Amino acid sequence: MMHLLNMEIFQLAQIFQLATTLASGLAELMPSSGTGKAILASILLGASCGMLGCFVVVRRMALMGDAVSHAVLPGVVAGLVWSVDRNPFVIFTLASISGILGAGVVQMLMKTTRLKSDAALGIVLAVFFAAGVVWQSKEKSATAGVLHFLYGNASSIDQNDLLMMLVTSVLIAVVVWLLLRPLLVVSFDAAYAMSLGYPVKFLNALFYTLLSFSVVVALQAVGVILVSAMLITPAATAYLLTDRFKPMLLWSMTFGILSGLAGCWVSMSYNKMSTGSVIALAATAFFALFYFVAPRHGILVKYIRVAKRKSRTHRENLLKEIYSILERKEFARESVSLKSLSERRRQTLEATQKDALILQKYALADYSEENRSLQLSEKGWRRAMEIVRNHRLWELYLTRQADYAEDHVHDDAEKIEHVLGAEIVEMLERDLDFPEVDPHGKPIPRPQSEVVFVEPKKRASQLVNPNKN
Amino acid sequence: MYSLTLPWEALGISAVWLVLMAFMVALPCSQVGSFLILRRMSLVGDAISHSVLPGIVIAFLFTGDLSSPWLIIGAGIAGLLVTIFIEMIHVGTRVKSDAATGIAFTALFALGVLLMQLYGGSKVDLDPDCVLYGQLDHILEYEAVSIAGLDVPRPLVTMTAVAFFTLTTMFVFYRVLVLSTFDAGLAASYGYKPVMVHYGMMFVLSIVVVAAFQSVGAILVIALLILPGAFAYMCTHKLPVMLSLAAGHALLSAVLGLYIYAWFDCNLAGAVVLAGAALLVLAWLFGPVDGQLWKWKRSLGEVEKPDDLIL
Amino acid sequence: MSKVDHPPALEIHDLSVTYHKKPVLYGVDVEIPQGSLVGVIGPNGAGKSTLIKSVMGVIPSSGGWVKVFGKPLKDSLHRVGYVPQRESVDWDFPVTVMDVALMGTYGKLGLFRRPGKAERKIASEALEKVGMLSYANRQIGNLSGGQQQRVFLARALAQDSDLYFMDEPFVGVDAATEAAIVTLLKDMRERNKTVLVVHHDLQSARDYFDRLILLNMRVVAEGPTPEVFTPELLHKTYGGRLTILSEIADRTAKMS
Repeated sequence: MMHLLNMEIFQLAQIFQLATTLASGLAELMPSSGTGKAILASILLGASCGMLGCFVVVRRMALMGDAVSHAVLPGVVAGLVWSVDRNPFVIFTLASISGILGAGVVQMLMKTTRLKSDAALGIVLAVFFAAGVVWQSKEKSATAGVLHFLYGNASSIDQNDLLMMLVTSVLIAVVVWLLLRPLLVVSFDAAYAMSLGYPVKFLNALFYTLLSFSVVVALQAVGVILVSAMLITPAATAYLLTDRFKPMLLWSMTFGILSGLAGCWVSMSYNKMSTGSVIALAATAFFALFYFVAPRHGILVKYIRVAKRKSRTHRENLLKEIYSILERKEFARESVSLKSLSERRRQTLEATQKDALILQKYALADYSEENRSLQLSEKGWRRAMEIVRNHRLWELYLTRQADYAEDHVHDDAEKIEHVLGAEIVEMLERDLDFPEVDPHGKPIPRPQSEVVFVEPKKRASQLVNPNKN
Repeated sequence: MYSLTLPWEALGISAVWLVLMAFMVALPCSQVGSFLILRRMSLVGDAISHSVLPGIVIAFLFTGDLSSPWLIIGAGIAGLLVTIFIEMIHVGTRVKSDAATGIAFTALFALGVLLMQLYGGSKVDLDPDCVLYGQLDHILEYEAVSIAGLDVPRPLVTMTAVAFFTLTTMFVFYRVLVLSTFDAGLAASYGYKPVMVHYGMMFVLSIVVVAAFQSVGAILVIALLILPGAFAYMCTHKLPVMLSLAAGHALLSAVLGLYIYAWFDCNLAGAVVLAGAALLVLAWLFGPVDGQLWKWKRSLGEVEKPDDLIL
Repeated sequence: MSKVDHPPALEIHDLSVTYHKKPVLYGVDVEIPQGSLVGVIGPNGAGKSTLIKSVMGVIPSSGGWVKVFGKPLKDSLHRVGYVPQRESVDWDFPVTVMDVALMGTYGKLGLFRRPGKAERKIASEALEKVGMLSYANRQIGNLSGGQQQRVFLARALAQDSDLYFMDEPFVGVDAATEAAIVTLLKDMRERNKTVLVVHHDLQSARDYFDRLILLNMRVVAEGPTPEVFTPELLHKTYGGRLTILSEIADRTAKMS
């Protein structure tokens, strides 16, 4: 494992070298128009923050991202003060160092004191930021453009910045691509990674370095304060959409890029708005959208699922009640009157009629308007039997195997009867040795046996015990 | 010796107001913050301090007055909104609470900044600068209130009232606060309702944050919340001592901050925070509990573990 | 003795608890007479701690009810004492041994009154009883496991409740402390206190407790120790979870 990793690191160094030689050539390829620059910047920041953000979200260290992003401020100020020509390389390097230092101090505080992670993060975030603020307030003229770094301003990005962003993003992408597996293992279970012989400390340090890099890439467009929006929100949106990590990476990058583009476009059209705020709000808008409509984890979908289940439960309860009315009359008749059903359900005739129409709509029963009576269809019969069987099987299971008192099990069975699947019914029947009556002595129907539509009497005996036929 | 008297000579009575103001901002923060640390909720302070911005901006746009009580109400609503959003996100989906916090507070903060940039441009005093740096040194420009023959700047009066309210509330509910923090189970069995304590705490926190917001800005508030508590936590094993030390830290950083401000002519709020950070470093080195020096000496076997001797 | 004069110390009816969408307890029925020492035993993850916490209202239950001395829990909270699991305590918290013992008196103080001389006396006596008075000024993190447990027992004594819940008090303590705790428990029973102890050691469970609750998601058996401590019932308790029951409970919990 160690060996493999070394290989990967070696490859990394080679690629880095390649990138730097390419950089000078690339500078000429950078778009020169303001829009072109903004588009490229959005893509770069969306991709790099989106990628790192996925790790941040699954490692549950969203607030580490926030702390690191605030911690780069002294580095930015140092860069502005020390580099008279505002060399982006100097600024980015100092900012990264500052961010990495911040992450290091958090670790140190947690290791050497009893302070918990939240306090350590808060301290670093605030103190580093304060250091930046104080320094900046001393060097007001040298740091005239510092607000661009704080709130983001896409139009302040020039070709050199862009080149720097490109190189850093490519570096991040390459490292993540090469070390995806080890990074993931470390995020998921550090102890296990250790047992595999992974250099956990190195990988964690690498992760914080990459995190600082991605903060730095996003710096000019989003700004220090709202970088954490780019680190958290797109990745969290992706997390709503998929359960696997690689698709999550892709989705997160997509949302990151889209939010970046939206932010740049809006803020460049309306001069007053800072790019960072618009980007953050765009990312939030995506999150809000998928919060409601995500296919599996969306609120709307969950709501619809619950509503559907409720209406199904309602229908099944109706079927069950029709069954028991028929059962009490020993299946002597084919249909039940609306009146007997309404009495059993303790509701008005009108409400019962509505219920009857619902059953008709789902082809579970035929409702005869003139007789005011309901007759179950074959499908209705089968479902009714299943529900009654589920109910009685579950009661039996609870009393026999799980030691519950007999007077206790009915209410529970009322709920459970609707959720037992075929597989569990089979297991239950096997466990209970194919029982014929429930704890109260009522027969357990057998819908799975082929019930043919014959005369009621005969069917009744078949239902109760098909083997006697 | 000149440098020691510099702030007082250069600023005169203003120096007293500035120190008092910084202290009155830092004091309630230090007390609430100490409990945030013990409850492991420091970052909730972070979230609230960012999220109150839109509430403040909207209230300000309507009233046009930075010292209007509507600002506190607006901020309170925004603070409540962010807690609700966080709940909605992490209860409703599988996104964990830390990410939910991040999403909610960045969104509200971004909204606040945008509103400020779009509609606040013509109005003075509320701009992105102020959000970042605070305006601790602007208090002198306010009209003064005459108290006992002294012209006290009005923000100082307001802040003192907030500090008094916070300290009284915490004093009255001290026991409830301690027990529900230490052992929610026992607190619940006494009928203390940990949920109520939590929301009560958020309420007081919001008030403190809003009041401090104008002085030190949205981000440096976090420093005032956490640094004093962390400093005290490193120095003692006893809660009353911890709270007093945190208050002492608030006072010391206010005074030292003023010196830094006067010596270097920099941002005052930032200077107060840096002074606080310097004290924290001292506690980290020499603090009786977490001090690295004692730990190092102990590892050499030079001193006994000072069990009950500690403060 | 009629049931009205001596209602059961604890009556749990059909209590179900889901926790983080995971079912932990399912239809629990228990009735415990006053003055008994009750052990709650069962395998890991059987819901022993959850039972205590939900009875005390710390974890909300999804169904069923609890009565303490014949009244709803809300009205008898002051008669209930609690000793938390050792792992759940923040041992770095800046409180001293005395502070913790004093917390036992808070319940009778109400919301605002401060503990005075009388309360200090109660707390000192309780500490004396568990042999921890000489450590009164120590921060709780600077104690051994056994000492830490004794401090929390002292707090329970200071509470002077009639019904106690103790979550794994024997975990991580030395033999001397274990013996001291047992003596204390017996002493409490003498004074007609009812104590419910979550316990994990089967062997000692038989000797320590009058009654046992065998728990594994549901109550497998409950009653006087000699009746319940049978190989058959124990096997049923520890013989793994009922797969179908946990599967189904899982499903319903996720849906609600």
